[in-house]
Amino acid sequence: MLIINCPYCGPRDQSEFSNGGEAHVKRPDGSKEIGDREWGEYVFIRANPKGLFYERWVHTHGCRKWFNCVRDTSTDQILVTYKLDEKKPNLNNFKSVVKTPSGEPEVGSGNFTVEK
Amino acid sequence: MKSINLKENQFIQFHQKISFKFDGVKYFGYKGDTIASALLRNNINLVGRSFKYHRPRGIYTCGIEEPNALVQIISEYSEPNTRATIKKIYEGMEIESQNRWPSLENDFGSINNLFSPIFTAGFYYKTFMGPHKKFWKNLYEPLIRRAAGLGKPPKDFKGISNHIHHNVDVTIIGGGLNGLLAAKSFINSNYDVLLIDFEDQLGGIINNSNKISLIDNKDPKDWLKETIQEIEDSKNIKILKNTLVTTYNYINHLIAIEDRFVGSKPIEGKVNSTLHKIRTGHTILCNGHIERFLSFQNNDLPGIMLSSSFEKYMCRYGLAPSKEPVIFSNNSNSNSLVYSLIKAGLKPKAYIDSRSGEEIEPNLFDLIRKNDVPLYTNSQIKGAFGNKKIEKILVEDSSSALNEIKCDCLCLSGGINPDVHLFTQSKGLLDWDEKDLTYKPSKPFQPTITLGSASGQFNFDNLNSDVNQKLKTFKVKKLDVKLELNTNTKYNIEKLWEVSPQKKSLWAKSFIDLQNDVTTKDIRQAITEGFDRIEHLKRYTTNSMGTDQGKISSINALGIVSDLLDKKVNEVGTTIYRPPYAPLSFSAIAGRNCYEFYDPERKSPIHSWHLKNGAIFEDVGQWKRPWYFQINKDESMHDAVQRESKNVRENAGILDGSTLGKIEIKGEDALEFMNLIYTNSFTKMKQGSARYALMLGEDGMVKDDGIICKISDQHFIATTTTGGAATVLGCMEEYAQTEWPNLKVFMNSITEQYATFNISGPKTREIMKKAFPNINFSNEEFPFMTFQFHEFNGIPLRILRASFTGELGYEIYIPSNSAPKIWDNIQSVGKEFGLAPYGTEAMHLLRAEKGYIIVGQDTDGSITPIDLGLSWMIGKSKKDFLGKRSLTRSDTIREDRKQLVGIIPSNKADKLEEGQHIILDKEIKSPVPMLGHITSCYYSSTLGHDFALAVIKNGRSMIGTKAYASTSSMSTTGVDIVKPVFYDEDNKRLVS
Ligand SMILES: [Zn+2]
Repeated sequence: MLIINCPYCGPRDQSEFSNGGEAHVKRPDGSKEIGDREWGEYVFIRANPKGLFYERWVHTHGCRKWFNCVRDTSTDQILVTYKLDEKKPNLNNFKSVVKTPSGEPEVGSGNFTVEK
Repeated sequence: MKSINLKENQFIQFHQKISFKFDGVKYFGYKGDTIASALLRNNINLVGRSFKYHRPRGIYTCGIEEPNALVQIISEYSEPNTRATIKKIYEGMEIESQNRWPSLENDFGSINNLFSPIFTAGFYYKTFMGPHKKFWKNLYEPLIRRAAGLGKPPKDFKGISNHIHHNVDVTIIGGGLNGLLAAKSFINSNYDVLLIDFEDQLGGIINNSNKISLIDNKDPKDWLKETIQEIEDSKNIKILKNTLVTTYNYINHLIAIEDRFVGSKPIEGKVNSTLHKIRTGHTILCNGHIERFLSFQNNDLPGIMLSSSFEKYMCRYGLAPSKEPVIFSNNSNSNSLVYSLIKAGLKPKAYIDSRSGEEIEPNLFDLIRKNDVPLYTNSQIKGAFGNKKIEKILVEDSSSALNEIKCDCLCLSGGINPDVHLFTQSKGLLDWDEKDLTYKPSKPFQPTITLGSASGQFNFDNLNSDVNQKLKTFKVKKLDVKLELNTNTKYNIEKLWEVSPQKKSLWAKSFIDLQNDVTTKDIRQAITEGFDRIEHLKRYTTNSMGTDQGKISSINALGIVSDLLDKKVNEVGTTIYRPPYAPLSFSAIAGRNCYEFYDPERKSPIHSWHLKNGAIFEDVGQWKRPWYFQINKDESMHDAVQRESKNVRENAGILDGSTLGKIEIKGEDALEFMNLIYTNSFTKMKQGSARYALMLGEDGMVKDDGIICKISDQHFIATTTTGGAATVLGCMEEYAQTEWPNLKVFMNSITEQYATFNISGPKTREIMKKAFPNINFSNEEFPFMTFQFHEFNGIPLRILRASFTGELGYEIYIPSNSAPKIWDNIQSVGKEFGLAPYGTEAMHLLRAEKGYIIVGQDTDGSITPIDLGLSWMIGKSKKDFLGKRSLTRSDTIREDRKQLVGIIPSNKADKLEEGQHIILDKEIKSPVPMLGHITSCYYSSTLGHDFALAVIKNGRSMIGTKAYASTSSMSTTGVDIVKPVFYDEDNKRLVS
């Protein structure tokens, strides 16, 4: 079981948590005029990088608190978790060691087990 | 093949006889025997028929790599495909051979062997394609499935397994020499270590062979005992025996299966296997190596086995499968078998080596000379022959002369491979070693360390330095172990994959995959036909696609292919080794998540009453809800639903609405929060009043609906749909935490704390008056959409005047524990007024008659409140609420969006169908422009005909016009498009 460090409860099993997509996406202020594009991007557009990613998680079967983390989407490694009101860490502080599993070409079937 | 017991053995209890049955015949083995060793003890070597050709097959190995000896364990719910080479026997065990009929000796299917020249690679693809597609499914496939195959799946599912999670720093896989050395380094360190071995004894090579003579100047067995004791005493190391690691996932996640009943019959009702889910910092692979076989004519005959397996039977099971086996090798690994045989007072009938005399190890040479073992160097076996067992072999010697040798057993060694399955599962890369002729682990992808032969170190020279070097990062104590060998050799191998048969014949078979009956000829043919990529070749020939994944043969296939294509093996590549390493049962994977534990069942406090009163249940999420109530066994669902709904319209009905989600919202800023979550405005709403409310997603689409009760500006109770309760609460919590953390508001689910009864119908007021005489239910005192708190016999009640049937109605909220009492009371006072329970289906019908939508049925995540004609529910003066801005997007203000309308058949006798399209033309001429579809559809006995709700393009403007509804019989029905309300349009009954 992957361990996720809840900023409130400490390290717990991944099965207690749910993923909430990209973090630090600000909801436009409803009391002001919001343009179609601005609103559309808020509702529909999310980043989906291979590598380091700010992400929201919620401790669903625990304290039910939302928090943020930095996850490497190519290895599933969660590098740091932090509370919602904490400053987001600089991604340069982390090294995304492996961008492509097993070193296969970036485009391809992934069916390589022999070193080329 | 006549076996002989070697009485000296620490693992077999020769004083403890065990009886078991194989194909109905009783035999004896000893405590500690596997099925294979017990059968060999009884001189049984024919144990199964092959997959395709039904050829007689015997025991080929002594471990998990076994391709042939798969059996069905009758005494364990008929567990199929059990490897006879690893499953231990117990008293009363019943075993059957597989894939034969009527018996193993006389198998009808062996006729396939005669027709074998046509069953070549791609046979199925080529042959069973015509004349019609249906022939494959209805004729060929069932026939082939009966003739080809492994064991029969068990009828009953009885196995129980549990799951255990581990979080450790280091996991050592394999408790052989290197695994023990690695574990020894970690003794009393600060690391949590898991040491996993597949066998019931740690020791690996020390137990299985006579390779090692002394460790630290001690007998290896004594050293082993001491070392295991030290490891067991160390508090930071946990040992898991009988546990096979099957899977190596991302982030060092391992799955291992533990057999809890090794050597005894599983007790019914007890956990018989444990699935270990391990998350580890580092994985140290010490899982050793696997010996390869060699291909020549009839290399599948019973009596042929791998040479290291023969040695393992001797060392581990005190059994020599034959007194005088012939040994055929191309490498130095079989040296120790010669040593073991001679040590046991036996003698190989002949030693045949493809290598030249100069290359053969001097020690071996001496041993063979001293004991007068016939030696054939530079020689190869051209074929093995015999009837259902090996009887003779044909040897081509260095002078190309043919020699016939009679024998009852042949031991093969085609070289050894590091067991790289787990390493490649972890996404580590392999590299071909041109000298040792095998793929070895090169670059790990994860924190994976390989030690010993698993890393490709086939010699023991660098044992200490290798372990010390690779464990350097842990800063654990360094090893200095002195090792002495019986057969002091460096691993040496000569290339040999296949020996061609002496006579060319269509029936001559040299197998490359024993389990899937793939021959070397199939490989040649596949390449000729253009399947020269290794992954294509694998699928076309089914080579290494059996349950053994070609453990003893897949590298040989690569060797043959590389020779045929004149490419380097590295260029040919390997196929992917996929998890699991060895088959594991579905029951192990399912663990306790089956039957009633698969998904929790939620039941209302009134559930037992429903059971007693003929309720037929419907699953709504995890809830069991009464769908309808049968007054007698013969009543059809249609009749029951019509009876229930009619009774609500004429008298009164009661629905158990306890499953509806209930959320309590409290806090200084509760009002502001509710205004932001729901479309409605709650600001001007009076305390003690209720409101039907909608919740949208940020995309403006309807997500949920419910009734909001305002107790005060700081206290609300919201109801949600039965299925939406968790999502709505989750959504509220999310926004409270992430978007509006400044609001002081708290929310909690009270769904289970309160039962809800919905009573509605023209006679409801009289029933309520009688049930709760102290409450005034008059229109003036208790108007529509208000609620009041009361007490009845000490039970607190909240009564809400609301209805989703369109009739006069009340909802009563009662603490769950007291609910059955109130329910029974209402039932008994309601009898004289004709009160009857109704289920969800009648509720849907009653709602639909009034045009009340069901979120999730009439909406599908693409419907806005405007599309539903519910614009009046949108608090337009509110600055913000979930999804508000989306309601003015260009897409949501389009005029031609699908809108909710009512549909009735123009001819009232016609039937409508849910899900059918609404179209404009009577004739269906494709392409048909589709306006929309029917979302819910019922027959109403109140109306006397079918009616439906539908969402159709620009629907509101089409009200009053005619259209057509498609039918499942590919025709159309004329329909009238009407307002989505069919009953009491003025709501007179609702507020009466
Ligand atoms: Zn938590």
